[in-house]
Amino acid sequence: MSGANNRLAVFPTRMTLSVMKQKLKGAQTGHSLLKRKSEALTKRFRDIVKKIDDAKRLMGKVMQVASFSLAEVTYITGDIGYQVQESVKNAQFRVRAKQENVSGVMLPVFESYQEGTNANELTGLGRGGQQVQKCKDTYIKAVETLVELASLQTAFVILDEVIKLTNRRVNAIEHIIIPRYENTIKHIISELDEQDREEFFRLKKVQGKKKEAAARETLERETKQAAEGKLLAESNAAGASVHSSPVDPGDILGGEDEDVIF
Amino acid sequence: MEALFFNADDGYLEAVVRGYRSSILNNTAYINLTQCETLEDVKLQLSASDYGPHLQNEAHLSTSMLAQKCTDKLVQEFQYIRAHAVAPLSHFLDFMTYAYMIDNVILLITGTLHERDTHELLNRCHPLGVFDSMPALCVATNVAELYNSVLVETPLAPYFKDCLSAEDLDEMNIEIIRNTLYKAYLEDFYHFSQSFGGPTAEIMTELLQFEADRRSLNITINSFGTELTKDDRAKLFPSIGRLYPDGNLKLAKSDDIDQVKATCDVFLEYRQFFDGTTGTGATKTLEDRFFEYEVDLNKKSFQQQFHYALFYSFLKLKEQEVRNIVWISECISQGQKERINNYIPIF
Amino acid sequence: MAQTERTFMAAIGDEDSITGLLLAGIGHIDSHQKKNFLVVDAKTPLAAVEDAFQEFTKRKDIAIILINQHIAEEIRPLIDEHDQAFPTILEIPSKDHPYDPEKDSVLKRVRRLFGE
Repeated sequence: MSGANNRLAVFPTRMTLSVMKQKLKGAQTGHSLLKRKSEALTKRFRDIVKKIDDAKRLMGKVMQVASFSLAEVTYITGDIGYQVQESVKNAQFRVRAKQENVSGVMLPVFESYQEGTNANELTGLGRGGQQVQKCKDTYIKAVETLVELASLQTAFVILDEVIKLTNRRVNAIEHIIIPRYENTIKHIISELDEQDREEFFRLKKVQGKKKEAAARETLERETKQAAEGKLLAESNAAGASVHSSPVDPGDILGGEDEDVIF
Repeated sequence: MEALFFNADDGYLEAVVRGYRSSILNNTAYINLTQCETLEDVKLQLSASDYGPHLQNEAHLSTSMLAQKCTDKLVQEFQYIRAHAVAPLSHFLDFMTYAYMIDNVILLITGTLHERDTHELLNRCHPLGVFDSMPALCVATNVAELYNSVLVETPLAPYFKDCLSAEDLDEMNIEIIRNTLYKAYLEDFYHFSQSFGGPTAEIMTELLQFEADRRSLNITINSFGTELTKDDRAKLFPSIGRLYPDGNLKLAKSDDIDQVKATCDVFLEYRQFFDGTTGTGATKTLEDRFFEYEVDLNKKSFQQQFHYALFYSFLKLKEQEVRNIVWISECISQGQKERINNYIPIF
Repeated sequence: MAQTERTFMAAIGDEDSITGLLLAGIGHIDSHQKKNFLVVDAKTPLAAVEDAFQEFTKRKDIAIILINQHIAEEIRPLIDEHDQAFPTILEIPSKDHPYDPEKDSVLKRVRRLFGE
């Protein structure tokens, strides 16, 4: 994945390099933030898991007590199941969800409330009514425990999801995005270097060419000059002989050498 | 006089019931039952009793299954007696089943009110309260039809006719209907048993009076803080109990349990019910004490001969026994051993 | 928020469990005569349980579904499939079947997460 090919398709320019560097910095900040969030959530998550474990065990006991109180009702009143089922009209026991904010995650917290009248108020009027009401109370308590547990469980599911998401992001940033930026930056830098080197080489080459050209020019000039000098001398000699030039240094010197004694 | 002619018709059946009575679990059996660790053990303990053959082929044990089987046995015994009975005992036995019939009809009314398929309810009916024409009641699709069928098809017709109209079924709370019917039934049964005279009348008076008073007390206590008005409450009190008419009047006006207690203080037997029950942490509830007293009364009826109350008592004791067994197995299966001794020992 | 409309609890269970829960007052019959509970006995076909479960999970007014663990066992794939936060599914013990944490879908997830 993180091969040399894993980089953004950008033009390697100094401009993009600085943009990329900014992006990398952003990604690193995001990474550390998300990581911290994930840690906070995980901590919360572990708390909840522990609570769920306890609550589930507690529920086992609570429900047992509740069903036992129903057994008491059955003992005294007889089977009330059908009557209770048929007298159902509107829910007296309801729940509503409140939101709790944990590191930016909205966790629902259920709370129960009573609404309306007791549909089974007169059940067991002639016999066992007290037990029925007692049983009702026990079950209300049991259901409250269940509601509490349900809150925890919902939080568990949501947190699980969010933590997975966050971790996915953290990992994505850590293993994909950051390397990608880094690769891009590396790539840009190497490209830029390459460009620099090329430029340098080109300049060198140009300079070389220039030097060559200059050298050639000098040589040419020199040759030309030499040729010109020779020509001049030739023409001078020719001129003296032809025009009988008044100044002939060699001849003068030579002449003086013989004639002038100090 | 009873002694002279009783055996001609009913001697055999009395003997049979006394035979059944000896199969009622005694204290030792209960102590053994409470020692059990699992329902399997309970079954093993019961296999030595009359319930043995009924439980033999049950592989999957549950308390509801136990309750079912024990009730089956009770019903079987009762039907045997009923099949061999001649008038007037047969009539007396029929009367005993009316109480269950009321429950069943109430069940059907509940179903009809909510437009359920009442045929499914037939399984839920108490087998003792089943009568031949019961499926006919299921045909009714609305309450008015049901009311008419009840009048035509069931022996409960007089109670319905006198106390309720078809509209009442629709409007009244089902529990009030039940208790109204039960009151009418108790009064009728009382007058019927008086017609026998002799020990039957004597013992039945005591039993039914207690039943009536128990209902009055329960209704009073259970209606505290409910929508049931005091006038309505007074209408549900049977007029045959020992509390009638004075105590009933006081009960109708009671607002809390202390006033109920004060009302009962006059009666020696009832005074004990309230000793310590009002405080918290009482191990025995009021209902438990009622049951205890009922068992006591029913036991006494076996001490006399040549009377019909014996059959009534037998049924009640057997019912209590089934409740005890269910209670014990419930305690065992739910691991609530500390409450296991709340059963009511019979013999 | 959609959750605030979820005010009811639904229940699938044996008769005793349902009776108790209804006594507590969770029962509700809406304007379409739809119940929010289902009594399951030995004769109830599995399809009926599955249908009820799916109906409850789709309803928008139910916050919590209570289901007896031994019934949950029967439709375990459906429960494992349900990964939404709402409604929450809670497995409860019944009278004849004490609670076994080993079988709970959520606890199973917990254990899987912690790699036990």
